[in-house]
Amino acid sequence: MKQKYKIQAFSILFMALVLAIGTTGCLKNLPSDRESIATNTQFTQTVYTPVLGRNTLFSNNFSVGNSSQPLTFKIINMRNRDGSAAPELTENFPVQVWTQAYLGDEKSIAEIEAKRTIENHPLFEIREHSGQFLMWSAALSTFVKTQPDSGYVFDVEMSNSGGRRYFRDFKLMPLKERSFEPSTFNAITGLSQHTGLSPSDVQNIIGAKTNRGLGGDDIEVQFHKVGEGNSLKFKFVDSLYNPIDPALFNLTKWDKLVHGFDMEKTNAYVKYTVAYPVPLIAYKTQYTNAAGDNAHVTFSYDRQAYGNIRSVSNLNLDFAIYEKGDWEITFWFKTESPKFIND
Amino acid sequence: MRYSVIIFSFILLLCLHNKAGAQQKKIVVTGTVIDKTERKPMPGVMVWAGKPLAVVVQTDIKGNFSVKTDADGELAFSFLGFKKVTKKVEGSTMNVLLVEEVNALKETVIIGYAKKTKEVSTGSSVIITAKDIQDAPVANVMELLQGKVAGLNIQNNNGTPGMVGSINIRGISNVNVSGSGFLTPTSPLFVVDGFPIDDNTSYSYGFDQASPGLSPISMIPTEDIQSIEILKDAQATSLYGSRGAYGVIIITTKRGNSKVPIIKYTANFTFSQPPALRKVIGGKGERLMRIDEILQNDTNYYHALNTINSTPFLSDSLNSYYNNSTNWQALYFRSTFNQTHNVEISGGESKFNYKVNLGYFNQKGIVQNTGFTRYNLNMNALYQPNDRFKLQAAINNQLADNSTGGGNSLTQTGVASTGASSSLLPPPSLFTATSDLLNTLSTQNDNKTVNITANLDIDFLIVKGLRATNSFSFNYLTQGTETFKPGALNSDLNKVYNYFDRKNTVYNRTALAFDKTVANDHNFSANVFGELNSTNFRADVIQQTGTPNDQIKGPLGYDFSQSLGGTLNNLADLKTASLGTSFNYNYKQMYVLELSYRIDGSSTNGPSAGYSKNPSIGLRWNFNKEKFMQKYSWLDYSSFRFSYGKNIVPTGSVYDVYGRYTAGTNYNQVPTVDLDYGVIPNTGLTPTTTTQYNGGFDAGFLNGKFSLTFDTYYKQVDNMLRMKDIANINAFSQVSTNEMSVVDYGYELTLTARPLPTDSKLSWQISVNASFNKDVMVHLPDNVSQLLVVDQTTGQNILYRLGRNSLTNVLLNTKGVYATTASVPVDPLTGLRYRTGGITSTYFKAGDPAWTDVNGDYVLDANDYVAVGNSQPLITGGFNSSLQYGPFSLNINGSFTAIRDVLNNDLASRFQSFADPTAQTGLVPLSAYNYWKASGNNATYPNPYDYTRTKQTSPFRYDQTLFQEDGSYLKINQVTLSYNFKKTVIKRWGISSARIYGTVYNVHTFSNYSGANPENVTDLGRDISGGYPTPRSYTLGLQVQF
Repeated sequence: MKQKYKIQAFSILFMALVLAIGTTGCLKNLPSDRESIATNTQFTQTVYTPVLGRNTLFSNNFSVGNSSQPLTFKIINMRNRDGSAAPELTENFPVQVWTQAYLGDEKSIAEIEAKRTIENHPLFEIREHSGQFLMWSAALSTFVKTQPDSGYVFDVEMSNSGGRRYFRDFKLMPLKERSFEPSTFNAITGLSQHTGLSPSDVQNIIGAKTNRGLGGDDIEVQFHKVGEGNSLKFKFVDSLYNPIDPALFNLTKWDKLVHGFDMEKTNAYVKYTVAYPVPLIAYKTQYTNAAGDNAHVTFSYDRQAYGNIRSVSNLNLDFAIYEKGDWEITFWFKTESPKFIND
Repeated sequence: MRYSVIIFSFILLLCLHNKAGAQQKKIVVTGTVIDKTERKPMPGVMVWAGKPLAVVVQTDIKGNFSVKTDADGELAFSFLGFKKVTKKVEGSTMNVLLVEEVNALKETVIIGYAKKTKEVSTGSSVIITAKDIQDAPVANVMELLQGKVAGLNIQNNNGTPGMVGSINIRGISNVNVSGSGFLTPTSPLFVVDGFPIDDNTSYSYGFDQASPGLSPISMIPTEDIQSIEILKDAQATSLYGSRGAYGVIIITTKRGNSKVPIIKYTANFTFSQPPALRKVIGGKGERLMRIDEILQNDTNYYHALNTINSTPFLSDSLNSYYNNSTNWQALYFRSTFNQTHNVEISGGESKFNYKVNLGYFNQKGIVQNTGFTRYNLNMNALYQPNDRFKLQAAINNQLADNSTGGGNSLTQTGVASTGASSSLLPPPSLFTATSDLLNTLSTQNDNKTVNITANLDIDFLIVKGLRATNSFSFNYLTQGTETFKPGALNSDLNKVYNYFDRKNTVYNRTALAFDKTVANDHNFSANVFGELNSTNFRADVIQQTGTPNDQIKGPLGYDFSQSLGGTLNNLADLKTASLGTSFNYNYKQMYVLELSYRIDGSSTNGPSAGYSKNPSIGLRWNFNKEKFMQKYSWLDYSSFRFSYGKNIVPTGSVYDVYGRYTAGTNYNQVPTVDLDYGVIPNTGLTPTTTTQYNGGFDAGFLNGKFSLTFDTYYKQVDNMLRMKDIANINAFSQVSTNEMSVVDYGYELTLTARPLPTDSKLSWQISVNASFNKDVMVHLPDNVSQLLVVDQTTGQNILYRLGRNSLTNVLLNTKGVYATTASVPVDPLTGLRYRTGGITSTYFKAGDPAWTDVNGDYVLDANDYVAVGNSQPLITGGFNSSLQYGPFSLNINGSFTAIRDVLNNDLASRFQSFADPTAQTGLVPLSAYNYWKASGNNATYPNPYDYTRTKQTSPFRYDQTLFQEDGSYLKINQVTLSYNFKKTVIKRWGISSARIYGTVYNVHTFSNYSGANPENVTDLGRDISGGYPTPRSYTLGLQVQF
């Protein structure tokens, strides 16, 4: 009798158990909440040709399609064209990174330097979740293969909780450094093709000899690195390379010319201590052009022109220098000097 | 021969017995039978006397009886649904209190058009009686079921008179989004007195089309309802086959059951009050605030001055057009006084009975120019000359008249836009600029709905145990809308809009039922039936722009180019045919087995889809009846249930299956017929199918003191209809397919307790129910694993992803507000701050919202959305407490919803109104909100005043988690205090019973939600400012019975 009771009590428990397992058992077949990895996800650019010696970010290179974000990306199998390993791109190097935003209103070099620091990174990286590629400025052609070499090949692994996909045979074909822009260097060979450049814009400058308007062809801008410090010097020279006193550009706002400090103005040059690169970042400040990607300098003067009118003349240059050093920018009035005197 | 011997000896026995009885002393006993809880006399109670007890008389209309019986005998009193009371005769008067039967298993349920007790039904169902819904006058009875049934999630999110909120049985069954934040409605199938009514069809057009949009259930007066039964699982609903997939709600109206005619009169007087309106800044305060905002935040001082001076609205403070302080909201909302009257005349007995219900219901909306009025005349009669033949007939006529003012049945956009107008503008007149208010106030919107239903049921007993029944009904539903917009509101062109639709439904069901008991223990019953349904629907519209003037509104049509109209493209002719059978067996009512099978064909099925087959199986084990359980006297009943079943709902239209031809242009002066290239025909279109497993446990303890029902279910909705874009290499652009599936699973628990002893003067019943429901997306079109549904207006997109809750919000994650500019993250490579995407970037700075940069590219764009939040509630439930002491009773009921994400778009749009200080919108005081004011502030809300950048950064965009809040709430739905007059007092006026009550409805909502009402949000949990608020109402009611 006692035994029978037990069996029946057991049967009630069993019934309850069947109900419980039955309902939870149904749930076992439900799909798990996994993110989506879609077939229409792809990279829209597979050949990357960064210019060495400067920070390069490749964005808009990825179409997410129907995959769920965040995705995680990894560069794998970084190799030379012949399949051998390429440790120069996978090992960490000290690179300069920004920790705080550069705004253009910093009061000293120290204040600017406080906003960036040194970290160790591989020279060529993929942003972990966005798929953007970036090349750090510490990558130099001395140890990274550059064109005309066929460069490197690598694969990318993309994953999220829904699975992973591989994108194969991306090509990285770096170009040699061009330490300043606009540049005189050939992109492939890295050799200088010209002695200098034209200024970005010349307005209303009249030659002292001929009274004709001077244009871009009359003025050559030359970039010279003369030391390993961090200064930037502007010089004006006449056709015979004799210095022209910068003070003659009397309307120039010398203190706001570049984001530099400790201005040293002589009758031969103007020199600033600056933080490199110039401009520091592609961000519009009072020292840059409208897009923010180049420093913008304007040398300006006025004079009394023919007919007793005031004539304002401008000499503009948009430029960027990526390599740290003591740089000299020389404006060489090739044909004749500008006319500063009144008519 | 053997039978006649038995009968003869039985009669002999009775005679002998009577003789013996005759020797005892007979007395006449008189008395009254009273319902203990209701404190009302009970007519029609069977009075049993003699030995053995037999029915001798029934109580009269006042509950009185008079019976001749033995002086030392016993009298018994019985009434359906009440406990039988047996009393010894002591003296010549006897007053009897009948108590309602509280054993839930003895309740009668109607499942698959057949009545049976719950004890032998395997499905999951709940019954609500008239008593539970009596004291609050509402237009739609479903409103009152909120929180009363576990697993029935009703959100009264629409206060428009005559409308009903969203009703879902066991989670969502459709994930298609229409408009901004509305789900395709999936109301359960209503079966009113055996006649199926689909609440989803023409009613659902109320959103996008200008039909009155009344819910057909609003046409049934609450007073006429005897009981409402909610069938939840597939076994219970399987025999309702087509359209039963979303659950079935069976409404039974009252019948006569008293020999003496009863006249019952119910009157309610209700005061409805709009909810608290939002605070606004008025007059000079608003002007100074705007000027201050410009001066503080414009790019420079002189530009600011110029902005102010070039905006007369701000600078010209002496202009009487601009120096007002108008409270716009007050112009929209009103408190209203409403009344309802209902007279019910009923009478008859089991052979013939009748009922007539005459009702008037009026509810003026709390938004001006809206309202709902209903007149009804419902009649039914039952004629049963003998046990073999029964005939029931009913005619129900209902006429409703409603107005939605300038809005539609779901939203009042005028309230949202003009209600948020600047207070500086003058109050409305025809000379002012804000026509939205006038639109609401002076648009003449007159909607009439006529609903006529005729039912005829014949029931014939062919031989013992075999019964044939036929039910026939015809329903005619016509809805008309007349809208007249005066010329002053519509660029001097007045507009007449006239909508008219009609829907005819013919429904017939023929059934053969057989039941048999073998050897007293084996009970069999079987049932075969065929069902035919034919519905046609047609809607026509006339739209005339520019009648001669605002006074001449017709005859219509003088200008061809301005006359629009014709038959709308929702023309429908639906036919369904079904054949079903069911088989029940139980052994000693201990083991129950139910099987059913039903096949359905529908004219909207594709020809290659064929008939859909719906099997179901149910098992029940009442294990308290087992011998070994008998010793537990504290256990009243206990049982396990299990069921499985399939159901369908026809979806799509005949056009989705066969395509559509349209009238084309002339070719060689001959009109042509074109193919509509919008939607490609899909002949394989099938109905939506629901497969459901249900496990349940019921138990009652200590003689009805405690009872418990637990259900767990797994519901899979397959073949959900969805319009899919197809590749443009096809001639067609879209196709309707059945490719989506959703699973709902959950648990439901109902607990009821009567904690006080039965002989206590104070009786108290308390019940609590709760249900937990989780929904999971399990299949998507083309086997993709996720799909994004884009909301163009708010950007609050919805994500369907396999394995996840089916409606996931996709938002930007707001982590906070940048206290300082230095706290904005910086790209280590480029040195640039986190910024907005697009052609020109705007860099974030102090006071901007800190949105998570999901993909880490330091650009805020479409890649940074996160799937977060669930707009469907996880836990819903309610509670009910009824206290009774003597003639007084106090009922309190409430409902709750927990773990639900609500998007507070209303708050977002209030902050957004600061984005343009020169715009003539209303401003709300922000002092209640912790917003960013100065660098270093640790704020919740971003800086609302930085208006020069808001276009680029849009800090108060809708699609962010800043405005996603927990929408959990606990609502006291109703508090009713009632008093039953003493019989002796009211007798002199010829009244048999009278009851007076006071009800407060929508009493209070407890919630942490920062907006107005966490319930008054769309199905997708969006608190849009255009929603129609639900009023709080105070009712004084009287029920008199003659």
